[in-house]
Amino acid sequence: MTAERIKKCYGVLQLLSQIGLFCLLAWAMDQLSVYFALPIPGSVLGIAILLLLMGLKLVPEKSVKLGAGWLTGELLLFFIPPVISIIKYESLFEQYSAPLMLTLVIGSVCVLLGTGFVVDRVFRFETKMNIKRLSAAKAIGEA
Amino acid sequence: MSQSMLAAISLVFTLSCYFLIKQLYLKKRVWWLAPILIVPVVIVLFVVSLKIPLPAYFEYTHWLVALLAPATIAFSVPIYRERKLIFSYPLTIGIGVVTGLLLGLLSSWGLTQIFSLPPELSQSTLVRSVSTPFAMEATSAFGGVPELTAMLVLLTGIIGMLVCEPLFKLAKINSPLAIGAALGAAAHGAGAAKASEFGKEEGVVASLTMIFTGIAMVLGAPFFSIFLV
Repeated sequence: MTAERIKKCYGVLQLLSQIGLFCLLAWAMDQLSVYFALPIPGSVLGIAILLLLMGLKLVPEKSVKLGAGWLTGELLLFFIPPVISIIKYESLFEQYSAPLMLTLVIGSVCVLLGTGFVVDRVFRFETKMNIKRLSAAKAIGEA
Repeated sequence: MSQSMLAAISLVFTLSCYFLIKQLYLKKRVWWLAPILIVPVVIVLFVVSLKIPLPAYFEYTHWLVALLAPATIAFSVPIYRERKLIFSYPLTIGIGVVTGLLLGLLSSWGLTQIFSLPPELSQSTLVRSVSTPFAMEATSAFGGVPELTAMLVLLTGIIGMLVCEPLFKLAKINSPLAIGAALGAAAHGAGAAKASEFGKEEGVVASLTMIFTGIAMVLGAPFFSIFLV
């Protein structure tokens, strides 16, 4: 029982410290972006840096996995507050609700169909290419 | 009641409402309990009925919004984890991202012109198909309002989730990569959640497409805005 509790406590501490690290990195990257007046926002810089650190094996994936899983899993919670400010724009949404909904629905249908159609074709092409490359590599190996 | 009292109540209510509904949804699995649908409605009703002024609502809850930036950085972990898939289908994923991004931008631009929506709405609509943290970052390049953008992104996610199935059947789109890319590009996080109902690979591709379109939108926004505003 106590062993289980200690394990749980340890898990929570691990999660919190990883989230803390992500926050620290976000803050540092934001400072960097502002200080050098970079056209790239801190969050995108952060993605690049962390990818680089993981790629170079300087940061093992398992030391950030827990925090990353939580942060991306609860994304909805973090943008609830801006959504609530719809109250401020109530009349705007009411006045334009029909054309706005049409825009969103037709637009989404365009993106879904267009992207799906294009990717379906490219996927078939690239799968063929991958098979060809694999068999070519095999042939070279056999020769 | 004092403002900080209302602010504390707002934060506690927002947190408990979100986690309770999420638990309930995981247990019951009925579509109308989907947190993305019901949580904003419940909280808006709560704020309106208690007449909580918006500044009081934001006083503490803005700390939640501050977690959007770290959450964006956390997207690097799924990119790293799925590097094998990315390296075996660079063309498919790349073209999916470019197609999705351009279709999202152009369809929003064209439709808002046709329906002649007022500028604050039409400019906030342009980035509607990318994930919220990226959209809120990119929207100002087009003259959009971050709060309006968050709402439009949320609606777009819900719509994509609801309309995708009959569309895929109708257009005979059935390869996992196509389903994943379409949902990730059209409906970001909500689309990725929906895609993982189709299968594991669909879900992974949707997440990757969502992340890459988001990054591309943020990086490209200053450039796209020259043509679209």
